[in-house]
Amino acid sequence: MRRLIASGVLIMIVYAAVMVISTAIAAPTSMDGFTQFFSPENYGELYGGITGDWQKLGQPFTQLQSELFWKIFLGVITVIPGVFLLHFLIVGAKSFAHDGPQILFFNFFTRIVHWIGAISFALLVITGLLIIFGAIFGGGAPIRLARHIHIINAMVFAVIAVFMFLIWVKDMFPTFYDIKWIFILGGYLSKKKKPVPAGKFNAGQKAWFWLATVGGGIMAYTGYIIWGMNGDLDTVRLYTIVHNVLGMVLISLFLTHLYMSLFAIKGSLHSMISGYKPKEEVDILHSRYKYE
Amino acid sequence: MARMRFLCDTERCIDCSGCVIACKEGNHVPVGINRRRVITMKQGEPGEKSISVACMHCSDAPCIAVCPVDAIYQRDDGVVLVSKKTCIGCGYCFMACPFGAPQFPKGSVFGARGAMDKCTFCAGGPEENFSKEEKKLYGQNRIAEGKVPMCASMCATKALLAGDGDVVADVFRERVFNRGSGVNAWGWNKAYKKS
Repeated sequence: MRRLIASGVLIMIVYAAVMVISTAIAAPTSMDGFTQFFSPENYGELYGGITGDWQKLGQPFTQLQSELFWKIFLGVITVIPGVFLLHFLIVGAKSFAHDGPQILFFNFFTRIVHWIGAISFALLVITGLLIIFGAIFGGGAPIRLARHIHIINAMVFAVIAVFMFLIWVKDMFPTFYDIKWIFILGGYLSKKKKPVPAGKFNAGQKAWFWLATVGGGIMAYTGYIIWGMNGDLDTVRLYTIVHNVLGMVLISLFLTHLYMSLFAIKGSLHSMISGYKPKEEVDILHSRYKYE
Repeated sequence: MARMRFLCDTERCIDCSGCVIACKEGNHVPVGINRRRVITMKQGEPGEKSISVACMHCSDAPCIAVCPVDAIYQRDDGVVLVSKKTCIGCGYCFMACPFGAPQFPKGSVFGARGAMDKCTFCAGGPEENFSKEEKKLYGQNRIAEGKVPMCASMCATKALLAGDGDVVADVFRERVFNRGSGVNAWGWNKAYKKS
């Protein structure tokens, strides 16, 4: 019994000694750290831990999305059709005789690919704009449906864009006369039938091709990341900005493509339905194209 | 009109996560959705601090600014609420929010995000007060009952304060005055250091 008490007392003395020594050595350093936490720097660190890296792209994203993007989109969908309307009224449509000899421009497979791509892309543009201007329509179920249609069509277009790329890429590399085409704006400012420097496809069509296929691929990838938030927050923000900016460019060129095919050149839509363009039209608008 | 505010006293928060549980349980928040969470800095090091974070109900809130369908709105008392029927789950509010407050349940179509869910300050939503629909979509409406939010009402150390911003500020100011702050704060030096 006495031995037990003695060993117990001994343990307590050793323990107390260790405590005294350890506090004497460790306390001044470790506890100084404690009081230092009350400094503004440490509070800054604490709030930095909460807000994370918001300052990286959070602020630019918030400002762009709330102040700028919708205004630019509104401008794109009003100014561009307005300019085309003026062009249609002042300059007017080009028309070529459709009863002369015909040249095969687009084979059946190309036309099918084009039309699947066209429908999915048109729906992507419409649903995308519905999401951007969702507040006008009150949001809710219709806009949610627009989002779902957007993702389904994105999957369709992502596949079609690959086919489009493979079909047309050989005719789409830039050439020197493309610069000339850009300077005369493709000859669309007059109704004169003067041969325009362009191969199978003119510079405008080439720009549209690269943006729709490569740009479409970028849209699909960034959209996939935004859809599932598959990445760190700052990447998602960056991709959202890229998706919006590229969307503006694509919608502008999409509207241009629509105007050119439906109104600017009379009956040019038929080339994508039957596959044939009139020889007269090819000789003027695609003067450098060597057909058989 | 009173301006509703949360304030978490980092000198009192003990990282018990009671506020998180109270919020989830009291509002029947789905699994995977955290309207409130506790963040601990310098864990296991000297100067460890914890803070409970939810929606800050910001003035000029970035989430309201970026929402493409205007689903988020601010009440006169400063509480920021979301209309789940209007929300399309685009996630822009999550990208804009500095505090990670907006939460998204998994939807049905291709893993689409469902309507955004976030701290409501226990003030329900745009639906009629105490209606079944409000309870189902947003949880309790304790503000309309005249109570403080779940999280603040159960906080064991009363670290988390919620209510009229002026009153909350007064309570906190008194606390800070009584315990001292900065280098005057109570701690090792005040208790043991021989001057």
